[in-house]
Parts: sequence; C-alpha cells; structure tokens
Amino acid sequence: MSLADDLAAFLGPGRVKTDPLERHVYARDGGLRTGPVEVIVHPRTTAEVVEIVRTARNHGSPVVARGAGTGLASGAVPTGPAVLVVLTRMDEIHEVDEASRTAWVGPGLINLELSQHIAPLGLHYAPDPSSQSICTIGGNVATNAGGPHCLADGTTVAHVLGIELVTVDGEVVMLGGAAPDPIGLDLRGVVVGSEGTVGVVTRVLVRLTEDAPATRTLLLAFGDTADAAATVSDTVAAGVIPAALEMMDRVMVGLIENWIHAGFPTDAAGVLLAELAGHPAAVEAEAEMLSNIAKANGALSARLAADADEAARWWKGRKGAFGAVAQRAPDYYLHDTVVPRSRLVDILGRVHEIAERHDLEVMNVFHAGDGNLHPLMPFDAAEPGTLERVQAAADEIVTASVEAGGTLSGEHGIGLEKRDLMSLVFSPVDLDAQARLREAFDPVGLFNPDKVLPAGSRCFDYGRPAPAQ
Amino acid sequence: MTGGWVTRDAPTPEELAACIHCGLCLPGCPTYRLTGEETASPRGRLSAMSAVADGIAAVDETFEEMMSFCLQCRACEVACPSLVPFGRAMEGARVELAAQRPSPTRRARGRLLGRRGLGSRPAVALVTMLAAIGQRLRAPRWLPGRLGGALGGLRPLPVRAPSTLSDTWEPLAARVGTAALLAGCVMDPWFAGVHTASIAVLRRAGYRVEVPAGQTCCGALAAHDGAADEARALAATNRQAFAGYDLIVADSAGCGAHLKEYESWAPGGEGWADRVRDITEVVAEAIADGRLPTQPETGTPVAMQDPCHLRHAQRIIEPPRAIVHAAGYTPVEIDPLAMCCGAAGVYSVLRPETSAELGGRKAAQVTATSARIVASANPGCEMQLRSHLGPGYRVAHPVELFAEAIE
Ligand SMILES: Cc1cc2nc3c(=O)[nH]c(=O)nc-3n(C[C@H](O)[C@H](O)[C@H](O)COP(=O)(O)OP(=O)(O)OC[C@H]3O[C@@H](n4cnc5c(N)ncnc54)[C@H](O)[C@@H]3O)c2cc1C
Ligand code: SF4
Ligand code: SF4
Repeated sequence: MSLADDLAAFLGPGRVKTDPLERHVYARDGGLRTGPVEVIVHPRTTAEVVEIVRTARNHGSPVVARGAGTGLASGAVPTGPAVLVVLTRMDEIHEVDEASRTAWVGPGLINLELSQHIAPLGLHYAPDPSSQSICTIGGNVATNAGGPHCLADGTTVAHVLGIELVTVDGEVVMLGGAAPDPIGLDLRGVVVGSEGTVGVVTRVLVRLTEDAPATRTLLLAFGDTADAAATVSDTVAAGVIPAALEMMDRVMVGLIENWIHAGFPTDAAGVLLAELAGHPAAVEAEAEMLSNIAKANGALSARLAADADEAARWWKGRKGAFGAVAQRAPDYYLHDTVVPRSRLVDILGRVHEIAERHDLEVMNVFHAGDGNLHPLMPFDAAEPGTLERVQAAADEIVTASVEAGGTLSGEHGIGLEKRDLMSLVFSPVDLDAQARLREAFDPVGLFNPDKVLPAGSRCFDYGRPAPAQ
Repeated sequence: MTGGWVTRDAPTPEELAACIHCGLCLPGCPTYRLTGEETASPRGRLSAMSAVADGIAAVDETFEEMMSFCLQCRACEVACPSLVPFGRAMEGARVELAAQRPSPTRRARGRLLGRRGLGSRPAVALVTMLAAIGQRLRAPRWLPGRLGGALGGLRPLPVRAPSTLSDTWEPLAARVGTAALLAGCVMDPWFAGVHTASIAVLRRAGYRVEVPAGQTCCGALAAHDGAADEARALAATNRQAFAGYDLIVADSAGCGAHLKEYESWAPGGEGWADRVRDITEVVAEAIADGRLPTQPETGTPVAMQDPCHLRHAQRIIEPPRAIVHAAGYTPVEIDPLAMCCGAAGVYSVLRPETSAELGGRKAAQVTATSARIVASANPGCEMQLRSHLGPGYRVAHPVELFAEAIE
C-alpha cells in the first residue's frame, strides 16, 4: 500500500491530501523557497501524530512539521518528498492553572489567542512575535520566537516549562513539566529552537506572565541613527531595561505612515519606540531617565503616548512594518542577525554600504534593545539577476554581523535560509556536536532532514571525514 | 489539461505578485479558522491562482473547490499590509470558473442572478408573492432545511410587493442636495422598511430623495458568481440610470460595495466611486453636522454586527455605531475580527453547512451579550442572524432604529 493509503487507513480518506494543487499550495511558508510536499495531514490528537510518524518511518518518508507557515527561514518547506504534518487543528487550551500561572496548550494554538483567552485573569503570554496574530505556539517553540517584549521577558525558551514530543520511534515523551527543577538532564532547551528536527511537539506547558500594573510608551525621534543607537546602549548601561525598545529608520517610518498613519515623525532619521512596564512610580521615573538619556544624545523630541489608544496605534505600526515594505517591491529579504549593542552604529553603516554596493535599497526596523537587526531589502525577483544580488548582499551582511561579534539569527531561525552560513559561527567540532545531539534524538534523519545543519556537519558523514571547513 | 486563464477578467499578474506570503491575512479568514488549512486561506487561494497563471495548475475540480469555499468576505483584504486586492482577484477567478468549468446549474444560476432574474421586476415580484404565501402557510415549519431556514429569516412579506421606484420626496429641512436611492432587487419588496426609514431620515437631513426609474439590480451577486456578462449588463444599466446624480445612496451594504467598484464592470470615467455612499455614511455625517437630532441615552444595548461588505469592503466601521448611539442606544461590540456571519450572498444556499456553522457562531456572539436588538446594515446578514437567533431577538438596520427614535 502507498504511504497515502496507509495514512488514510487510520485517518480516513478525506483527511489525507495528495492533490497536486494542494501540494503546491503547501510547498511554501513565509520564506522565499518552495519544496516537494508528498502528502499533507492535519492530525487532531497526539495519538494520530504517533501513527503518522510510525507510518512515515515505515515508508522511509521524512516528516516535516508545520504550524501557521509564517516562518521566514523556509523551515517548514521540505527538501525532498515528505509528509507535511500541519498542527493547526491541535489548537486546544487544555488547562489553565491560574495559581501557578501556567497553561497546557496544543501546538497549533495561535499565540495571540492564548493571550486573549487569559486576559480576564490579568495574565498574558509574553513572547510576542510580530506575527503573533496567526503564528502557532508549536512554531514559536520550534523557532524559539522572540518579539518586541522579549527584551525584558526573554524569548520563547524562557516561557516553556514542559514539552510533549513524539519521537522518531513514535513514542510520546514528556520533557520538563510543572516542577520548578525537573530531575535528570533538562532537554527542553534542545527542543526549543530545534526547528522540527528532533520530533513533533504535540503539547506545551507555557509560563503565563502577570500584566504590569502600569505601562508607558515613549516615542523618541533622532536626527541621526547613530544617536538613536547610542541611546540604546546608554539606556541599558544605566540599568534601565525597557519592556520593549524598537528602532525604525526614516524609510521604514515613511512606509508605515503610508499604510496606517500610526503618528510617527516622518522627518526624523531614526525613531525609537520604548515601552516601560512595572510599578507606576518606577515607570514614571524610568520614562524620565530614558528621555534624559535621549536628549543627552541629541534627540529631536521625546513624547509619551497620551493614552492606551495612541500607544496601541504606535505598536500596530511597528508590528505591521514587514508587510508594509511590499508597497515598495513584490519581494523582500528580511535579515535577522544579532550584534552586540555597542556595535549597532558600526553595523548600521556597514549594512547601508553593502546594500549600496549591490544596488539595493535597504530599510531598518529592529529590536534595538537586544541588538537584533532586521534590515529589509525590497526587490523584484522577476528582474533577472536581482535575486543573486540580494543573496550576495545578504551573505555579506551576515558575515559582517558575525565579524562584529554577533550571530546569524536572533529569532527567525536557520531553516534552509541560513543553513549554509552556520559554519561562519560554528567550528567543525561545534557542528559535529550539534549533529550528534540531533542524531541522539533522530538517528535515521526522519524529522525535517537537511535543515539547520549544513551537509557535512557530522565529521564522519557517510563513514568518512568531512572535508576541512 | 494545462493551466492558464481564458478571460479578460482573470486575476492580473500585478494583483497576484502583490502577495508576499506573510500570512497576516489568515487570522480573520473564516474558512481558514474553521479548517486550519492553508488551501482554505487567502494566501493559499492566491497561491493557487498564481499556479494557474503560471501554467503549473489547471482550473480543475480542486481549484474550483478552493475558490468556491471562499465567502468573498474580504476580511483578508483589510488585514493585508501589502494591499493585495483580494476581492477583485477572486471575482476574476470566479469568472474563470464560469468560463472553464461551465455546467447547466452554473448557467441557470447565472440567469437567475442576472437580467432575467434579479434584474427583472416581474420575476422578483412573482417570487415575493410565492414567499409571502409560503409565510402565511407557516412554511418555515415544514419546508425542508435550507429553504425553510431562508424563509424563516425573512421579514413578514406582503403578497403584493411595494416599490419605491420612480418616486420623489422633498426635503423636510433646509435643502442640502439630492440623494438618488438604489432601490435594489429584493431590497425593494423584502426590506421595504429599510427604504422607508432611509428616505425619512434623508429628508430630515435636508435631502430631496429620488428613486430613478430605469435602474435595476446592482449585479453584485452575478459578479461574485462569475456571471460576468450579466454583471456588466446590470452595471451599465445602472450607470445610465444614475448618470445625472452627484450623490447615489445604497442602504444595503453589499449593493453599495459593488456600486463603488463599478469601474471594473462598466467603465465610464472618473469620479463615480466618490459619488456612491452607503446610507450609514450619509446619516452619520448629518448627525455630526447637527442636521439630525441626537437622542438621550437610554442604556438599552444594541449588538453591532458588521456586514463584511460594509466593514471590510467599504471600511465603514464608526458610522453605524454613531447612528445607533444617536438613536439613544448603547452599541455593544460582539466580534473584534468582524468575522463573516456566513450569509455571503448565494453562499448560504450553495454551501449550507459552512454557512450554518458561521451563522451559529455569530448568533452565539450576540447571545453572549445582554442585547436583544441587533443592528445590521445588510439584508443577507439580517436574514442569517434572524434565522440563527430565533424568536426573542430583533434584527434591524441601524437607520431604522434611528428613524424610529426621531419619529
Ligand atoms: C510578518 C511577520 C513577522 C514576524 N515577526 C517575528 C518576530 O517578531 N519574531 C520572531 O521570532 N519571528 C517572527 N516571524 C517569523 C515566524 O512568525 C516565527 O518563526 C514563528 O514562530 C513561526 O510560527 P509558525 O506557526 O508559523 O511556524 P511554521 O512557519 O509553520 O514553522 C516554523 C518551524 O517550526 C517547525 N514546527 C512548527 N510546528 C512544530 C511542531 N509542533 N513541532 C515541531 N516543529 C514544528 C517547522 O518545521 C519549521 O521548521 C515573523 C514572520 C512574519 C511573516
Ligand atoms: S496579508 Fe497580503 S501579502 Fe500577506 S499573505 Fe495575505 S494576501 Fe499575501
Ligand atoms: S474573502 Fe473571506 S473567505 Fe475568502 S479568502 Fe478572504 S477572508 Fe477568506
């Protein structure tokens, strides 16, 4: 029997999709590449995931997990014929424990739905990627997603207490849990950020965060992006950790204003958006400190949001930034590198220089507080040669960031997009160690093969040493 | 079979290239939220259209299923930061379906939604009479599912249908202009109360109201179903009938949305879209100008249902709330995403299960509040809500609530 027939035997025929057009539609996520999907299934329970994994393994077919498909690194795009396991139907909120501030949720639950569900309890789920209105908790776990508010609260890894995982043998294992210090090796950290390469996440125990008693949002405008970057460094150095600290350059601000009129100053070279959260008195004091630091660095203006509506408008503008770029050109390449905060100014200059040399436009919007850059390059892939120029510029930008002491990806993951750049940050020994760890979970290469680690990571791939890197 | 388009209405390369695959349009899409499937999402549908355009997929059964599952609610259009004109692209895809997958039922449907059906006064009058008799025989109780449900959602009908056509009314206050009212196809006989209220309120606001003779059905349902020739013919007739007017008012959100987009069905020079307004826009403006009175608040809650073709297609959100408020009621929000109620024109007849599931959800959002009155500015939504809410609830156009309050 064929793989599809075997899957249909327990899922029912209507729940196994193999039509060419359907496979085509599932061949791409939020990134730029497409790949060959063989069969698509939407399991509803962990037991179904177990059966799917066993069946796929019997047929020697790889398993690629997918959430909402907003990933930007082509992580949910198979590289060879694979079973695509789409988890959007496993979107239950199984249990909310108000006292211990935790919740067990399905991997397909939409990030924002969780926060909306617990809002009446005065709680929220802290990691807030800009895609939070649609991306899934499972996808967030797999990519260790971050967001504007991860500066003070940490990325997804800091909010995941337990993970139920379906392994390569079709076993259901529980990693971590409600206990503050689970016994044995803490393997949660291996799964968070593993991009679907160690198993399928079928349930997650997340930490819920209490809403701050007070928040203030501050908008700072600068005549020079270097002044904005200096303000970021000085703020953190002064011991103020804003809940969020975001930077946008003039081009970006212009595009956002075109789209929703958020109220950002369009004449400034750089704009910082800061949110301060905590006890009312502390928040007021920090807002004043931040304004003073900004003014000392030559800020043109510093303005507090008048009310919650104005603050919400500013944040909506910030979160829609990526999409607004498309007003400029049909495609865009979004970077996600991280540099030490002290090198922000240098790197911004380098990014502009690289883009200019490749005859590309570049605009910046990023999590300034943690040095996570998102330079965006809009382009039209239909123009011959453009894609190559974009790729070349991208590689240079990543290399420059790594040379400045930074790394490849802050939050969007490695997937296919940045896989072959891994050797910029990791030595052959590092890569080999990672490959071994992955092998310990998945010795047969069933889960999302060819992702994250470049070919040859394992020093003894195919029984012979990999060429020196 | 190979791919490719065959009509001039097909989705254009520009429309399709505008999608950057970000997925931000998925949260508000009713079919995605019901199924969790990419093939039932706006991004997936655009990707399927691109596949056909690129010649890698054909307009086959799977393509047809993906397109016909869409409610054309256009929630995706509002969410899209890249400004993809999804509604237009989907109308194009429907025209392609009609051309590449013709069938006797589709052709019959096209006629029903076209000049000799909704566009014909005698035809509509006949159906109205039958429906009115059915109501008197308590048909909703014994008719099978769909038809009974649809009849149950209707207002009580007179056997002899009224019509506003060719009438003219003078303003009741200092004159500010002339408003030409779209009578519509079933709007006129089935929702006569809405026309009566619109005319009364417009007159109080200083408008002379005319219902130009020679007008016909707006053609929205034909356009949504891919019956391009019918849609074009109906649009051309109306452009002629309304040619001399600066202010054309529709009191059905679906009709207004379509009228505003006539340029793609019956091109005829600039400025047309600016002359068409939904009644809620005109009335809210008159309230804000002080041309219409405001009632003191009574505290009675009214649940606000946002018709897709008002909120998503025309981006009208505040005006109905301002009107309900000025009528003395307290507007109550029921759905931040303003998800489709499932009526969606002929969708409720073609895909009754999906329609009923969405209708049930919408009704539950209403019953979760203390409101017993629902304001809806679109006839299809009104019927859907009434049949899903059942007795004990009143569903009315916001302008009707306002007209009663200032009487
Ligand atoms: C407009 C926009 C803004 C964005 N903003 C941010 C941002 O601010 N911060 C950020 O970090 N990211 C951001 N992203 C990227 C993306 O939204 C995140 O990576 C998100 O976590 C992906 O979730 P998803 O449900 O879409 O997963 P998918 O894209 O479907 O999958 C992502 C990866 O996770 C794996 N995976 C998914 N579910 C499971 C599971 N249950 N078990 C095992 N593996 C699984 C997949 O195999 C794939 O490798 C943005 C994307 C867009 C389009
Ligand atoms: S929001 Fe717009 S650009 Fe993004 S996937 Fe949807 S249609 Fe495409
Ligand atoms: S029009 Fe409505 S149903 Fe159709 S794709 Fe857009 S949001 Fe979904």
